[in-house]
Amino acid sequence: MERIGRRRFLRSTAVATGLAVSGVRPSRPLAQAGKPHAGTRLKVAQVSHAYAEALLARLPAFEQQTGIKVEIDQMSFPVLNQRADLELASGSGAYDVMQMIFIRSGRWIAAGWAEPLNPFIDDAKLTDKGALDVADFVAGAMAPFKRGDTLYALPWLSDSTVVGFRADIFEKAGYAKFPETFEALQEAAAKIHTRQTAGFVTEDNLHWIFPNWLLSYGGGFFANPPSDLTPTFDTPEALRAAELFTTMLSKYSPPGGIKLDPSVAQAIMQQGKAACYLDGMGNTQHIIDTKKTTLADRMAFTHTPRGPKGHFPQLAVHGYFINKASKNKQAAWEFIKWATGKDQMLWSALNKGHLACTRTSVLAHADVRQKFTWHGSDLAALHLAVMKRAGEGYMAYRTVPQFPPVGDRVIIAMTSIASGQASVADGMKSLQKDAEGILEKAGVKINRRS
Amino acid sequence: MNSRAWTASGTVLLMLVVLGPVLFIVQMSVRSGLEAFRMPPTLVFSPTLQNYIDLLEGKFVRSLMNSTVTATSTTVLALLLGVPAAYAFSRARVRAQGLVSLWTLTTRMAPPIAFGIPFFLLYKDLGLIDTRIGLVVIYLTFNLSLVIWMMRAFFDGVPRSLEEAAYIDGAGISAAFLRIVLPLSAPGLATTAIFTFLFAWNDFFYSLLLTRSEAVTAPVAIVNFMNYESWEWGKVAAAATMIMLPVVALSVVVRKYLVRGLTAGAVKG
Repeated sequence: MERIGRRRFLRSTAVATGLAVSGVRPSRPLAQAGKPHAGTRLKVAQVSHAYAEALLARLPAFEQQTGIKVEIDQMSFPVLNQRADLELASGSGAYDVMQMIFIRSGRWIAAGWAEPLNPFIDDAKLTDKGALDVADFVAGAMAPFKRGDTLYALPWLSDSTVVGFRADIFEKAGYAKFPETFEALQEAAAKIHTRQTAGFVTEDNLHWIFPNWLLSYGGGFFANPPSDLTPTFDTPEALRAAELFTTMLSKYSPPGGIKLDPSVAQAIMQQGKAACYLDGMGNTQHIIDTKKTTLADRMAFTHTPRGPKGHFPQLAVHGYFINKASKNKQAAWEFIKWATGKDQMLWSALNKGHLACTRTSVLAHADVRQKFTWHGSDLAALHLAVMKRAGEGYMAYRTVPQFPPVGDRVIIAMTSIASGQASVADGMKSLQKDAEGILEKAGVKINRRS
Repeated sequence: MNSRAWTASGTVLLMLVVLGPVLFIVQMSVRSGLEAFRMPPTLVFSPTLQNYIDLLEGKFVRSLMNSTVTATSTTVLALLLGVPAAYAFSRARVRAQGLVSLWTLTTRMAPPIAFGIPFFLLYKDLGLIDTRIGLVVIYLTFNLSLVIWMMRAFFDGVPRSLEEAAYIDGAGISAAFLRIVLPLSAPGLATTAIFTFLFAWNDFFYSLLLTRSEAVTAPVAIVNFMNYESWEWGKVAAAATMIMLPVVALSVVVRKYLVRGLTAGAVKG
């Protein structure tokens, strides 16, 4: 064995000390050529979803290719909301990649908790722009995560409101096609509604459902979001929308129709207890699950109705972002690129039924179109059309930082009106007053109307 | 209707009220997804164990294990620390004793959220988030006062003359406590243990706040069966049934002590 001399020992010690002081670390033992992040352990937080299952199914290939170990924590949506807020606010850095919930994006981005993605995208060493193909993401799905030219997340889920309906019931009531306006839908519901079969059903997340009516009748949450956040729940347009919407809930919904979680609303459709179901695409498409219903061949899908001011289907978007406090940002970017890639999204649509995806190429893919065309209803085209429509910008109200508490208050107002505890005028007046209070308490300058 | 019939009717009604939700959950746990929401509900159906099989094959087992370890450890530690403290509060005469014993209750006075966030921040720095130890420590904070106050009441009920007799026979404080007082307080010990176990076992809030994936307990794991697009009610019901079983079993085993413990002192002057 070669002897180490005194001088060599001292020189080596000096070099090692210098490197340690300067912060330079030897490469990870597992790092290999072409796998710069080998040995990195990533933690991902997201909602329990078929898309996560699709990621898990293909994760071994990603791990083998990059040497990165990934742990995906799937949790229910309420748990995710709570946990994400806490982890981000405390700067724990426990999760490297997190789900960007679009109604919280305003707060999270404003607080500086999300890492801008532009530097990663623009660095040729980190990103093959052709393979990533950012332009392939539908504009409406990207909008919530952009502030100016800065991008903070890449979307993997975009839920668009559509209607699933029993074609046979509507035909029997004299409707060759689904009513195109909300007022026509109400007339149809009045004809169809019986104790056995409700005219209409929806889920209990009413701040997600009500805006379909609200915006179509010319109303809105705020005067001109994001610049003017003065609440506008006391306008004649908002009152009319609330009146029509709560009438659908109180008169033409199944018993307990004010408070039905999505799976119950789906079950009601699956058992033939309602004529139509308005909700996000991800939820609505479950009504044709042939393991749960024998009525699937009587179902069809279409756009949500319109109002006098036009058609305003809602779009909920969720993406992946890099936690600012993460210590593995480049590895996290590798994961996001892979998780939102064309190949992954297409595989997920074809194998896990994830239609509520965000890439144009996937929604236009022949196999996807074929898989999701049901008795003449082209679900992929419906979804794409809503994303493009939302891309015009009317969903901006939903990504302002103050939306979540105002949205919660809207649910209370709609519930109290639909249950008869408050008149439309009183319920909306009270909502307006409370929303003004929430905004002012948050330090937002508004033009008080009440 | 005579009084016996009234009593019988009342008993049946009470059982329906108490057992109704339990029976509802249990029957739902053995229904298929299609059967779970059949309207109107059917009394006759083909039961399936698929929900339980899915649970036992999934991550829920780990959560159940976390609940078992944390609740049992909390109970044992709370008794080990709390019982001697309760005995001291019962027997010793020290200055400001009332104030000190009241002070032990402060952890139960504020709502859990008041402690939850500071503990989260503290645990973040100590590396205790998502660990069973972290959960046991926070469970101890609010269970210790329960043990101290419950056991103190039981020790107060044990006549001091028995210990004095033991001292005359040569026993020390420890021997008198372990051989005389503790055996006489067995019903109280059982009652206290089961309440401590229940509080730790059923905790949702702290587990939600202080765990991520490794140490998640069963009550929080249940919520995660509520997927974004559809809720797995069958699994929720099966998991709820599995969570109930250990508590039911424990209650049956110690029911004799439980009744004696709960009624101790009821007819004393």
